[in-house]
Amino acid sequence: MNQTIRACWISFSQFASTFGGFQMFSFRLLPYLPKALLRPGLISEQIYSLGVLSLVLIMFGGLFVGLVLALQSYSTLVEFGSTDSLGAFATEALVRELGPVVAGLLFAGRAGSAVAAEVGLMRATDQIAALELMAVDPIQRIVVPRFIGGAISVPLLAAIFSAMGVLGAYLVGVHLLGVDAGAFWSQIQDRVDAYEDVGVGVLKSIVFGVSVSLMGVFEGFYAAPTAAGVSRAATRTVVITSVWILLLDFVITGLTLPEV
Amino acid sequence: MFDGLSLDIPRGTVTAVMGPSGTGKTTLLNLITGQLNPQDGVVLFDGRVVCPCSRRRLYEVRRKMGVLFQSGALLSNLSAFENVAFPLREHTHLPEELIRQIVLMKLHSVGLRGAWRHMPSQLSGGMARRVALARALVMDPELIIYDEPFVGLDPISMGVIVRLIRQTNDALGITSIVVTHDVAEMEKLADLSYLISNGKVVAHGTPQELQRDSSDAVRQFMQGLADGPVPFHFPGPQYAEQLQEMAHA
Repeated sequence: MNQTIRACWISFSQFASTFGGFQMFSFRLLPYLPKALLRPGLISEQIYSLGVLSLVLIMFGGLFVGLVLALQSYSTLVEFGSTDSLGAFATEALVRELGPVVAGLLFAGRAGSAVAAEVGLMRATDQIAALELMAVDPIQRIVVPRFIGGAISVPLLAAIFSAMGVLGAYLVGVHLLGVDAGAFWSQIQDRVDAYEDVGVGVLKSIVFGVSVSLMGVFEGFYAAPTAAGVSRAATRTVVITSVWILLLDFVITGLTLPEV
Repeated sequence: MFDGLSLDIPRGTVTAVMGPSGTGKTTLLNLITGQLNPQDGVVLFDGRVVCPCSRRRLYEVRRKMGVLFQSGALLSNLSAFENVAFPLREHTHLPEELIRQIVLMKLHSVGLRGAWRHMPSQLSGGMARRVALARALVMDPELIIYDEPFVGLDPISMGVIVRLIRQTNDALGITSIVVTHDVAEMEKLADLSYLISNGKVVAHGTPQELQRDSSDAVRQFMQGLADGPVPFHFPGPQYAEQLQEMAHA
């Protein structure tokens, strides 16, 4: 019994210590952000490696989510005779929920883990120490550009994911299931609100982008300098940010739901 | 780790810091470069305190130092050329033409001008260390610290590194600290040697003076004796006692 309590206490202490360390790290980054904007080349490099190189995965994911969403929702809508709403239904679901959440999860798997592994490996192979000894601040040179690059990439990727999803829904709805193309697009125009739907989606994707990027650089920067440490950092980034995205999605959805 | 440790590194010399594994040589390197703060005492570089001091002051001091890591610690996403150019790009606003000339000159001095396009993964251990040496030299430092520069090198690469350390020191008039436990190479290279054991300097002098030293600690290290002040057996209970303990466990 004592051992169980002790184990729980150790786990809780470790969690509290990591959480505190994460918060300290986040605050430590703040003063670096304005200076980082003076070197946009470093940020655009990261937008390329984190964002542009994730495009195929995101576009593929978005297209297939849209295809499946249209197929699934059509069978329900047809019972109520409202198949014309297929476009609006799919677009709302994509823009508000699926776009930011699934793009965030895919980004965490593809780019968040890559950032953690890359920065962790730099720590393990003394590259971070070498920067320090060359009088180059590793936070400014390595951490901040990756954080900003990731935070900018996710909202853009989420938008592309949603656009591909709508395209997928259009292909299935209009060309496969025979929904009228005019109704498909006009329903989207009528029902999708710029603030309540698109605005919430953009807000979520910004929050998810900041979370994934921050966790990736944090885990990588403080990874144990061993092979196991680097792999653990990559795994933790994916696991923690996935849970975090789902949790935050629920909170943001609850706070921004339009009054019924 | 250290107790009452005091070292003077004379300007313009190659000074070897030696000692058995785990004796704190790398910790000493970390203290000299300000990566660690001493609980007590100070580290002086050119008469000025390295640590404890502010981060800005520390970075000013580090610009006058070059450190060669055992692994080279080259930035893995940059070519040999870009690795050497890195400190110039970070700390100066030199035109690209001048950076190109300086970098090629430094790579030429370590014999790797032809490998300027190579990525770190395409370089052998010895080549990576030579590129790292070119990078350490590119800001014309006053002090260069070599952390175990001979580990894992074939005889040719080792010979090249020894020659480069000596030549660089003499040609540029800089000061070199070589952290090593390689007695044979140290004898060829060093002007002065410190032998550290159990957190203290147990001997210092020229390599020849260290060879003549008859104290147990120095003899064990210089002659590579298995047993002595550094025991062969890791401390533990008596053999029979341990067998009984493990049988009952």
